[in-house]
Amino acid sequence: MDWAQLAEIASAPDNIPIVALLFLIPFFTWYGFRQALATDRLITRLEEDPKLAKTHHRKIEPYRKGWDQKLYVWPYLLRIEFLSAIICTFILMVWSITLNAPLEEPANPNLTMNPSKAPWYFLGLQEMLVYFDPWIAGVVMPTLIIIGLIAIPYLDTNPLGNGYYTFRQRKFAILAFCFGFLVLWVAMVIIGTFIRGPGWMWFWPGETWDHHRLVFETNQDLHQVLGITSQPWIGMLGGTAVGLYFVISGWLVHKLMVLTEFNRKIYERMTLVQYLILQSLLVIMLALPVKIILRLLFRIKYIWVTPWFNI
Amino acid sequence: MKNLIERLRSWWKSRTPLDQQPIPEEDPLVKSSLATPIAISSLLLMLSLFWALYDETFGLRPWIGYQKEFVGAYRKVLTRIRPDRAAEEKQVQSSAAYQELSSQLQDAETAIQKEMTEIRNQEKLLKLQLATLSKVFTTTRSRIQAATYAVETSTGNTRIDLEEELEELNKGPYLAAIPETANEIPETRKYTFQEMEERFNALKAHQSDLQSRTVKLLREPSRLRRERNEYSQVRLTSLTENQVDGILNGLDNFTTEIKQIHIAEMGLVDRCESCHLGIRQPVVMKREDLDGNGLFVSHPNRDLLKIHDPESLGCSPCHNGNGVATVNTQQAHGQYKHWLRPLYSKENFEAGCIQCHESDRRLAMAPTLNSAKEFYYQKGCWGCHAREGFEVEPRLLRATHQAIDTLTLQRVKAETQITRTIDQADQAETNEEANRLYASVDAINMNISDIDSQLQQLNRQIPELMKEVKKAGPNLKEASLKLKREWIPVWIQNPQKFRPNTKMPRFRLEQNEIEAISAFIWQSGITNSLPKQPPGNPSRGKTLFETRGCMACHSMGEMNGGDFAANLNRVGEKANYDYLVRWIHNPRQRSLPYCPTHARDITPEDYASQGLPFEFGLEKNICPLGNHFLQVQQLVVMPSLRLTTKEARDIASYLMNQKHDDVKYEPAPYLDDPQLFEKGRALVRHNGCAGCHEIAGLENDGKIGVELTKEGSKPIERLDFALLTHTAKEEGWYNHKGFFEHKLENPAIFDQGKIKKPEERLRMPNFDLSPEEINALTTFLLGSVESIIPENFYHQPGGAGDDIQNGWPIVMKYNCVSCHQFVPEQQAALSQLPRYQTPDGKEQLPPSLVGEGARVNPEWLAKFLKNPALSQEKMNRNGVRPYLQVRMPTFNLSDGEIQKLVRFFSALSKESIPFTPPQLEPLSGRELTMARDLFTHRTAPCLRCHATGDPIADRDASAPNFQLVPERLKSNWTERWVVHPEIIRPGTAMPSGLFRKEGDRWVFALGDVRSLRNYKGDHAKLLVRYMLGFSPQEQRRLRGR
Repeated sequence: MDWAQLAEIASAPDNIPIVALLFLIPFFTWYGFRQALATDRLITRLEEDPKLAKTHHRKIEPYRKGWDQKLYVWPYLLRIEFLSAIICTFILMVWSITLNAPLEEPANPNLTMNPSKAPWYFLGLQEMLVYFDPWIAGVVMPTLIIIGLIAIPYLDTNPLGNGYYTFRQRKFAILAFCFGFLVLWVAMVIIGTFIRGPGWMWFWPGETWDHHRLVFETNQDLHQVLGITSQPWIGMLGGTAVGLYFVISGWLVHKLMVLTEFNRKIYERMTLVQYLILQSLLVIMLALPVKIILRLLFRIKYIWVTPWFNI
Repeated sequence: MKNLIERLRSWWKSRTPLDQQPIPEEDPLVKSSLATPIAISSLLLMLSLFWALYDETFGLRPWIGYQKEFVGAYRKVLTRIRPDRAAEEKQVQSSAAYQELSSQLQDAETAIQKEMTEIRNQEKLLKLQLATLSKVFTTTRSRIQAATYAVETSTGNTRIDLEEELEELNKGPYLAAIPETANEIPETRKYTFQEMEERFNALKAHQSDLQSRTVKLLREPSRLRRERNEYSQVRLTSLTENQVDGILNGLDNFTTEIKQIHIAEMGLVDRCESCHLGIRQPVVMKREDLDGNGLFVSHPNRDLLKIHDPESLGCSPCHNGNGVATVNTQQAHGQYKHWLRPLYSKENFEAGCIQCHESDRRLAMAPTLNSAKEFYYQKGCWGCHAREGFEVEPRLLRATHQAIDTLTLQRVKAETQITRTIDQADQAETNEEANRLYASVDAINMNISDIDSQLQQLNRQIPELMKEVKKAGPNLKEASLKLKREWIPVWIQNPQKFRPNTKMPRFRLEQNEIEAISAFIWQSGITNSLPKQPPGNPSRGKTLFETRGCMACHSMGEMNGGDFAANLNRVGEKANYDYLVRWIHNPRQRSLPYCPTHARDITPEDYASQGLPFEFGLEKNICPLGNHFLQVQQLVVMPSLRLTTKEARDIASYLMNQKHDDVKYEPAPYLDDPQLFEKGRALVRHNGCAGCHEIAGLENDGKIGVELTKEGSKPIERLDFALLTHTAKEEGWYNHKGFFEHKLENPAIFDQGKIKKPEERLRMPNFDLSPEEINALTTFLLGSVESIIPENFYHQPGGAGDDIQNGWPIVMKYNCVSCHQFVPEQQAALSQLPRYQTPDGKEQLPPSLVGEGARVNPEWLAKFLKNPALSQEKMNRNGVRPYLQVRMPTFNLSDGEIQKLVRFFSALSKESIPFTPPQLEPLSGRELTMARDLFTHRTAPCLRCHATGDPIADRDASAPNFQLVPERLKSNWTERWVVHPEIIRPGTAMPSGLFRKEGDRWVFALGDVRSLRNYKGDHAKLLVRYMLGFSPQEQRRLRGR
């Protein structure tokens, strides 16, 4: 166990946000879910007790009769935001005094640093380069992420759950977010920071980052695994495999979307265009973990090799 | 542990979910107060603000504190030295000379006092007059100028009005009360403008007149004052009391600020002196003066600083570090990961010299660097590692060859063009056309003859340049002639063991590899045999070895000697007698000449095939197989001592006796195994042996090592620490210094722990370096960087400075410094031997060459360097000092080297080249007689000691050959020499005090010379004129007297 190595990574000024992220993300996830679940229980109670529903004017606990039905932003919200602003400013002040900007030597075009890492918020993208070819990981995927994020309000046909924490009423949305953000994005940022060392090799935390390390890691394309060597067959095999994936995962996603009574209602509210866009976004998102597993566990580099792109 | 988990779990379970927590009476969102958290966090925010302010003013500016500390420390030092300074000043002032100057000054001042008072009075009055007048005059003048301009630019009717106005202005009248004498009440008078102007100019003229008178009067007193000040300044060791007081007063007004040197041309900003405030203070402060505080010490080398003024060069160009940074020591010294030029540590600071002094082989104030460069050259590091400034000769040779090739091609082209043009001319339609074409052929022919002359010149240079090329190690083609076979594998295995301090390093070889290499060396070379030599006389050989000067370069046993060449302690164990005789007689002699074009040795058969006799030498250096030059000498620097064959045999016999009796060598039958040949050849090639040795078939092999010219600025990532990377980081030597030091100490260190095939291993051999050598080489490598300094800052002296730069490498190449002294601070190794410590022994030392350029005529020097015997017949002697046992060797220097050396000597003595001997007035008949009397005076007959070239007379001679004076010596120097030999060359046998000063001339001091009684001229000059006209006839005439 190389504690010095671990300390070096964790204490690098670049990585401060990620170390903070390690603690803050679980905390806020827990904090959000605590409130959401409490609200869910309140919703159940209100559904069972219509009388209470008439008098309980706040969507979250606690509430007593006689309290104001509505509270104004000023001062009740703004004073809390003011307090947070002060605390954040304080943290930023201390941070900026104690840690200097991590400047390095003048760039040398003849010498790339190793490992050469993107800023922490892009490490997820960089990690994706391991699993897809640069055209997919660097251009298609980021574009789709942005388009998907923009499209959310237009795809969301669920009228419930606005303005209060709830899990029950937005299970599908919340789970999709948790999967996409926590499992895929944040996890990849953490892998990029703590796990990927020189040569973008996989070092477990506490392993020494040795520039001279050699590992046996031979990646093969799917057609090589199956021993197919000539071109039309290679393309067709890949196309079939990818097509098969789309069919299976599309079917799975569809099953998920119509899993419960509530979900089915939402599904019925969707137009065909909305449904198809959501389907394809989710299927493509799911492709990432599938590719990660294929790559890391089965050492498969590309499924579909064509002269124009590789998947 | 378990308990803790259990408690955590029960705590988690016992929590009340959010919706089951008791609901407070009051609405917490409305009623609860945020005052406390806001107050606390605001307080924290304020605190962080104060923290930021503190950090900004003091935390990031530690130099503010240092500067305060400095004022205190400096004041303390100044106060402490002040009484001493006063005392010393008083002492100087109380000296008679100072008093004398003081009284002179006083007299001069009194003498001018009266006139000065008068001038002062006049000046006072004048000032008053000018003040009164100019008040009116200058305003009027401005108005008139403005009015004039208005007139000039006006037209028509207005012009007339304006002209009138101007006239009015000119006329005035103006009132002014100008005092005419000092103490009167001035009378107001009327003036026109013109009158005022005249008066004003007159006053001004008077004023400048008074000023020039003052200057004239003060000239003498100020000269005397300057003289007095200079007198005391020269005698004072440091500041005067007044100066100390001045600094102390200055300290009261010390401003705390960034002290910065900015040199725009270099893009340099150095703030080093913001903390190191004592560096350039006029008072020298050492650590102990400052109670052990090293921060404020003065620069330890003031002389160095004088030539490298920080105001124009800064600090960091030499010392490295981050000159801009002021936040803390680590940043300012650049000792962190991302600063590429960290401060050189104390033991390596000379590394900073290299960027600007790349072309200087020897630097006056950089002994470490000098030794590193010497080491790099002598031990043949350049055999594997190319570096700028080393191995210049082969590069020049290549360039010359290329130039010849280009010219030859041009010539061929020109010739084809001629043929073509002639063809065209023959077929031309008109006569004019044909004539024009013929004319152009003539032009091309001119061009060809021009090319031919250039080619001829270049071709003449080639054999000269071939003379200059040397290798660090001996020629291995002759191994089978030279060496005992059993000795070879023993030597290769560990050269240091056989001969400590040898140049040859220890390679990492397995036993079978050693065998293969030995076999290859044994089989690849020359196979013919040498003539058998009869044995010589070892005891005579010993004397010769010890007296002829061999020991300037070689050492032997406990007698020490030079370390330039091999220690010959055990030479008898390895060498063949016959070869040794030839070697001592002429080390440059080859068995076979080498032809660079055919890339092989030329054998007698080759000569025979062309019907030529097998003869080669410096004169016969053309390849029989084609028209190109042969390498006819061994590539060694060892010179010929012009010994006779008999002497060579004696020395060789003596050397053959030098061996350890108890050493047994294993027989080495594998040396003749032809199967080992190819393997050995591959190994020799792999290990780069041909970098230092001449080896058959590998003469043109390239270098196997990395080029080191810019090694110091290689990115650290490119230095392969291999498996030691992490150890190095932990132990703090993951930097260039650490890499070089560890690599030099053990060149194989970075193979540690690696599993490699023998041919993949690091190849650098082990030189068994001492810590000093490692440090010197590390300094050298650290300083070999990509310079950030603009080229115009480099040391490019030009003229004489260039000659010095060019000369040193040659002086060091041939180890001239072992016998001769070139600069006062250098000692010749030979002079340290016990043999030369007695007064008689000192007489036997080779001459010191300090001031040689001033002494001898450069043309003669060139002749002497070419052949120190100064004769083609009598080679077995010294040309100038036949009485010396030590022999000035024949180095077979190339014309270029001789030229450089001659210029070098002239430059060292600040003499100009070319030298034109001054025309000396020929002696008249009377003067000739007087000079002869002087020359042969019984108290100091010159020829009692000085040699003349006459073998019988020279038997007792102990001073240089007088016959050579006219062509050898420069008259100016000779004159200085006869008057002050002791000053020019302390310890010389030449008697001092031959002349004494009488008025402006030198007069013979050792007795009365009758013929000179009425002579009014300078006796020393007379003697010199006589000496410089000295001839053999004159000498014969003297013998008659």
